[in-house]
Amino acid sequence: MGLVESGKLPKSLTTLLNLSRRYSMWCYQWGLACCAIEMGAAFAGPRYDVMRLGVIPLPASPRQADLVVISGTVTDKMAVSIKRLYEQMPDPKYVISMGSCTNCGGPYWDSYSVTKGVDQIVPVDVYVPGCPPRPEALLEGIVLLQQKIRHEDPATRWRGDPIVVQ
Amino acid sequence: MSDPSAGDTDVAEETGTDAAAEAPEGTEAAEEVPRDEVREKQLAVFTEAFGDRVLDSHIVAGVDLWVRVDRADWVAAVELAKVKLGCTFFDFLSGIDWAPSPWGRYEDALEDAPRANGSSPSIPVNTGIPPVDPATVEQGFAGGATRFQVFARLINVKDGTSVVLKVDVPDDDLSVPTLTRLFAGANWHERECWEMFGFTFDGHPGLRHLYLPGGFEGHPLRKDFPLVARMVKPWPGIVDVEPMPATDDPEAAPDEETAAGDAVEAATEDQASTGEEGTQ
Repeated sequence: MGLVESGKLPKSLTTLLNLSRRYSMWCYQWGLACCAIEMGAAFAGPRYDVMRLGVIPLPASPRQADLVVISGTVTDKMAVSIKRLYEQMPDPKYVISMGSCTNCGGPYWDSYSVTKGVDQIVPVDVYVPGCPPRPEALLEGIVLLQQKIRHEDPATRWRGDPIVVQ
Repeated sequence: MSDPSAGDTDVAEETGTDAAAEAPEGTEAAEEVPRDEVREKQLAVFTEAFGDRVLDSHIVAGVDLWVRVDRADWVAAVELAKVKLGCTFFDFLSGIDWAPSPWGRYEDALEDAPRANGSSPSIPVNTGIPPVDPATVEQGFAGGATRFQVFARLINVKDGTSVVLKVDVPDDDLSVPTLTRLFAGANWHERECWEMFGFTFDGHPGLRHLYLPGGFEGHPLRKDFPLVARMVKPWPGIVDVEPMPATDDPEAAPDEETAAGDAVEAATEDQASTGEEGTQ
């Protein structure tokens, strides 16, 4: 994958790579509060059926995930775990911040214990507003993320160290 | 209640405001106060055991019994309730900080502030009503003599009665004997109370953080704990002032908006200056 790291990938290969990446996203669910109910409706219920978009919401571990949806109130105590979760995910990795609490603190904007926005800890790709957002809103966020991946140069997402075989 | 400070004193002891509100009614029409023989008997058990050391008590007929005891009798009073009154269910233990917030009342608009001699109220840090004089604060049911109190509620699950026991905690020694020997479930309540208010519970098996991160500094449920977000941002309800939908007068609505906007501008300037000082 040295081509990817150096950004010298042929355009046709980039298109193919992005196509396959955006329609096979393994999504880790990180539900922290009431938004997790809506996320569960979007991901686990047959009514909304996120798998038709190519998202598989059932990775066994963050190490198998391409995307994490952080939904709910992020407290300062939980922030450490979210940072660790993000660091465990392999590049390229994406974060969707779902709900007002995760975006900016929401109704807990003045709390002593709530992190005012998960983007203080990890970089966020798509913000889904709402308190809580409806499942359709989360699905739209995923579609937006897929559009973002479509026009992306994989090299820009390659933040990790190159893999060295000894 | 006429005292505007009472609503602000403590949410946990919201019933305390009712106590003060009902007290005058009780003195005016003493005959109409309903008797509650069950709870009077329960109170008699306490007075029999502790005599004058029952500092104060209060009964709301059909609702609850409040008993305030000395700190030396705290464990004995809880044990008495458990053994003699059959209150074997430990409902909760918590603390009260009766001091009014020194930061004022953020959530109230400036127009509601009490003004002395027609002058404009002085704003300490942020928008909102300036702090309340601590001397005017009334402590709820069963009274109190100190800023801090610890209280616990015990329930008799057989007949549904319950007792609220309160104890004063003096400022110079914020410690209370632990209840964990009587109720193992008091462990986490006391740990939470310890980290939120800063009380120590003598004899507790392990006072360490329960909810807050380990390195947390300060005691967030104390009234003088500063909420930093409020220092840099006015309360949203004051900022987002909209004319009431019922206002049909088209001229009145813009006036309100501009007035509110001016107030917010002045407030943000004021807090910007103080906020900078605070951070330096």
